[in-house]
Amino acid sequence: MLLSHGSLGWKLKSSLYVITGVIAAFLALPIFFIMALSFGSSQWLVFPPPSWTLKWYERFFDNPQWIESAWTSLQVASLTSIIATLLAIPASFALVRGKFRGRDYLYTFFTLPMVVPVVIIAVAVYGTFLNLGLTGTLFAFVTSHVIIALPFAIISIINSLRLFDKSIEDAAVICGAHRIQAILKVTFPVIKPGVISAALFSFLVSWDEVVISVMMASPNLQTLPVKMWSTLRQDLTPVIAVASTLLILLSLFIMIIASFVRKQSNHR
Amino acid sequence: MSLQTNSMTQSPLVCLRELNKEYGKFTAVDHINLDIKKGEFLTFLGSSGSGKSTTLSMIAGFETPTSGEILLNDASLIHIPSHKRGIGMVFQHYSLFPHMTVRDNIGFPLDIRKVAKDERDQKVDEILKLVQLEAFADRRPSMLSGGQKQRVAIARALVYEPEILLMDEPLGALDKKLREELQDELRLLHKRLGITIVYVTHDQDEAMRLSERIAIFKEGEIVGLGTGKDLYRKPPNAFVASFLGNSNFLKVSVTGSASAMLNKQHIEVENVHEVPIDQKAVLMIRPENLHILTPEQAEKEPLMAGFNQLSGTVNESVFLGESLTCSITIPSGEKVVSKNIATEQPDLAPGSTVFIRWNSKLSSLYSKWEQSDINKNAA
Repeated sequence: MLLSHGSLGWKLKSSLYVITGVIAAFLALPIFFIMALSFGSSQWLVFPPPSWTLKWYERFFDNPQWIESAWTSLQVASLTSIIATLLAIPASFALVRGKFRGRDYLYTFFTLPMVVPVVIIAVAVYGTFLNLGLTGTLFAFVTSHVIIALPFAIISIINSLRLFDKSIEDAAVICGAHRIQAILKVTFPVIKPGVISAALFSFLVSWDEVVISVMMASPNLQTLPVKMWSTLRQDLTPVIAVASTLLILLSLFIMIIASFVRKQSNHR
Repeated sequence: MSLQTNSMTQSPLVCLRELNKEYGKFTAVDHINLDIKKGEFLTFLGSSGSGKSTTLSMIAGFETPTSGEILLNDASLIHIPSHKRGIGMVFQHYSLFPHMTVRDNIGFPLDIRKVAKDERDQKVDEILKLVQLEAFADRRPSMLSGGQKQRVAIARALVYEPEILLMDEPLGALDKKLREELQDELRLLHKRLGITIVYVTHDQDEAMRLSERIAIFKEGEIVGLGTGKDLYRKPPNAFVASFLGNSNFLKVSVTGSASAMLNKQHIEVENVHEVPIDQKAVLMIRPENLHILTPEQAEKEPLMAGFNQLSGTVNESVFLGESLTCSITIPSGEKVVSKNIATEQPDLAPGSTVFIRWNSKLSSLYSKWEQSDINKNAA
């Protein structure tokens, strides 16, 4: 390789380490700050915290509104993940295997929600659900989140399906398996990592979604990011930092699972 | 071409009748007729896009013919889906199930058929022994070498005892030495099991080494069918002559039932294709059938009956160890190449005059040819 690590001089090497460190700090520091503040005693989020406490966590878990919104978030994200993945599987098969006119346009269409500004989608689904009288329902939350999660799920499954050598499935068929049986027994187990990461990414997209959720929310039903948003507008309390920390921890946990799944599939 | 008129002792296992496959305006397979005999090793040989793989896919059921008929034991296969055809197939890239062990890969066809566990395990063990992979039974395919993977693929295709085994360039991904080893193994396996094998390859050496019969494909048609020996010695047309092995093509005009004119010189020919008199034709002679003599030798050895002689000038001779090739310009300006066992050849300096002789029975005459056929001259 042109830029092999070993061939770099120590000066260049160390400056690369410094630059990498600075960028990593830039990305990670806000997260560390917010996590530290959630344990700080200062009401006004003073940094460094004068002393350490768990009272904001107590406040969070004592407040049924916070717990309820966290529970709602979990429900919405789980349902979004399941539905988006179930829709993405047949869509991916059609987009990879299908031979029909306009297949590439259809692919672009399916991935459009990734490119279109979220606020436009938010206004559109808000208008629709308002007309139908469905705003503030779980159905509205999940449906609108599926719209923006679907592209991620489709891309993830399509990638693994494209890498899958179809002759392996054909081999199962010529061995006597019906096409459906071959897909279930051979194709699925092989593309499983792609399906799992589709589910995980769909979950994450929904889990930290705020723009659409703000419009879908009602006083009775709101997700954690919406609750944070509305709380922030009234006052700044370290409980927000607690909610942020919990949000981050779950996301981190899912990212770790995703990378674990990827590693497993590379071992094959 | 009527290939089914041969008197056969038994009815063929597979019959292709007017089999045709079109993709839009492109004809991939053009109304072919072919009988595959029970127990034979038949190879489809051709360059890429010649229709050989498409034909195999239609037999397997992965492609639907545009028209025509495929018969297996006299019953039509056209409307039978792949998984019910009971055909074995080995694919180009092994196509093993990566998430299963070798044992489960081979057991898969039996599991699908709901074979009882004892019988399944016994059959798998038997076939593991046959392909010498007992020691690898519990490994995943990713832990195997290319040759071992191909053995697993063959075992998986044989375990349910199909009547016919299709192989689509199964050794293409392996290096030359391993390929030759597996070719020998495969030939022995075929002899031992007596199974019918239809093999697809673009490698003529492989086709020669393995097959009892070869079907040569060109632009969706079968342009030659027979044993490797017959196709090589008496090619049915100029394409087969140029495709299989090396050949010299000389332009002649036919003057009689066994004679022709080559640049103002009468020569004897074997006119098996009955080219009419005064017709322009090409004469094909294999390099190894051209004998080179120095003027002194030519004087000493009289020309035998049925042999022809031309004079020529040596351009270059190349020593290849066991053989010696020599490029010679003949009076017509055409170049020919000879290839002979090195010990029989006199030393030939460039520019020296020589005589070339050949047995007219070992030459072939064609009235039809394409420029691309004779461009692939040995020279």
